[in-house]
Amino acid sequence: MTILPRKHRTLVMTLLLTLLWEAAYRAGLLNPIIFGSPILVVQAAMKDGDNFLRAFQVTAFEMVVAVAIAWIAGVLLGIVIGISRFAAILIAPLLSAMIALPLIVLYPAFVAGLGIGPISKIAYGTLNGVFPVMLATMLGVSTVDKQYLVMATAMGASRVQLVTQVIARMAVPTIVSGLRVGMSLAIIGVITSEMLASVEGVGFWISYHRTLFNVGHVYLGIIQMLLVAIAANWILKQLEDRLGRWKQGVQTGK
Amino acid sequence: MEVNPSEIISVRNVTRTFSTGDVSFNALEDVSLSIAPGRFVSIVGPSGCGKSTLLQIVAGLTAASSGDVLIEGQRITGPSPDKIGVVFQEPLLLPWKTAAENIEFPMALQSASKSLMQKRSAELLSLVGLSEFRDSYPHQLSGGMKQRVAIARGLVRNPPLLLMDEPFAALDEQTRTKMWAELLRIVSKSQSTVMFVTHGLVEAVYLADEVLVMGSKPGRIIERIFVDLQRPRTLDMLGSTELGRLRNRIWNLISESVP
Repeated sequence: MTILPRKHRTLVMTLLLTLLWEAAYRAGLLNPIIFGSPILVVQAAMKDGDNFLRAFQVTAFEMVVAVAIAWIAGVLLGIVIGISRFAAILIAPLLSAMIALPLIVLYPAFVAGLGIGPISKIAYGTLNGVFPVMLATMLGVSTVDKQYLVMATAMGASRVQLVTQVIARMAVPTIVSGLRVGMSLAIIGVITSEMLASVEGVGFWISYHRTLFNVGHVYLGIIQMLLVAIAANWILKQLEDRLGRWKQGVQTGK
Repeated sequence: MEVNPSEIISVRNVTRTFSTGDVSFNALEDVSLSIAPGRFVSIVGPSGCGKSTLLQIVAGLTAASSGDVLIEGQRITGPSPDKIGVVFQEPLLLPWKTAAENIEFPMALQSASKSLMQKRSAELLSLVGLSEFRDSYPHQLSGGMKQRVAIARGLVRNPPLLLMDEPFAALDEQTRTKMWAELLRIVSKSQSTVMFVTHGLVEAVYLADEVLVMGSKPGRIIERIFVDLQRPRTLDMLGSTELGRLRNRIWNLISESVP
């Protein structure tokens, strides 16, 4: 028996599951209010595709901005805090406390302060995403082997060069893992806040059609988010391959 | 201060005092030495004799409590990569840079031009016999190859002095023996002046023109021994009576210095 080529496997499995889903729905095995069916999703897309695309545009914009701010601010803050022992002592306990706090309790304050438009979604998404990036960067920066700093100093590196050319670069694999978590949390933050208080976006689309029992519309939104997750994962994979190629050898202990 | 042109490095009355609370001790006490151009000088001594402190002071990484270090007549007050190339116990190659880029690193820190850097790294790769590994990353190189890249990096700015801190201690014995021959070939070609700090008595004698023996508590130089082995050194000299005699003499000096 021949096994399918690797790149076709996912596609075939997806098709198979979709067929299974439709079949199970038609056979009456699935609760129609909870699960819907692929055909219903297609019908929803044909009927309300324009509106959905508009909703997705809003959400995509919010997600991209939130992720970008969370990444940039998280890396910069993480480097500054990570290389300064003083800042680390002051801020680390505060950060640990923040991590334990369910950020959603702050959401009403965001809406009160920034309204129900995109700004509050972006701010909330950023808040969710920035901490893991910052923590990973701090960790990566503060665990750089000091011998490399001695080496670079002896080779004539200035303090700035130590940070930009050795410390930050050495921390890249750890930072990228933080970027991954930060990206997911920022996206989750945007969607969650859209579902809670909004009049636009995919999050709003899902919760709005949920109340109307438009199961096809709901699953259209869910599947769209699934595709966003796949795309986000792909982007990070490219980033990891680009920045962390040298790490492969380190991981195998060579 | 008078400058002696026959000296690449001159260490004058260097003392380094460490204090913890009320207790202070001299890691180095009144250490003086000088090395003439093209000479290979080994420094050996028991653990805790201040070898590493001396090396850090010469490299400009630590300040002396008193005394001076002069390279070609100029006082060292901080890292001076144009005057001193350093090779450490670990290769400490930057893992995201290729062999060539690692060699170019000290020049890149000075924002040297790309063409100049590539010319220099090509020369040095060929000097250390790694031309075909130009674009290899450190994880693709063996331990000995990595240390050769580190030596090339130490030489890239053409410093008058090459400072080596137990560079072969982390290698296995076979590789280490090969690296001795390699190092002798490299420094005779580059005509470098070398200050070589080591634990190994055999390599101290085998590589050097003279061996400075240090004693501990306080760290000081207790003996200066000249090595009368011919150059070029061959591997069978490792078993020679002359080398054995010098090795034993150093061993006795070190044992006597440790209570």
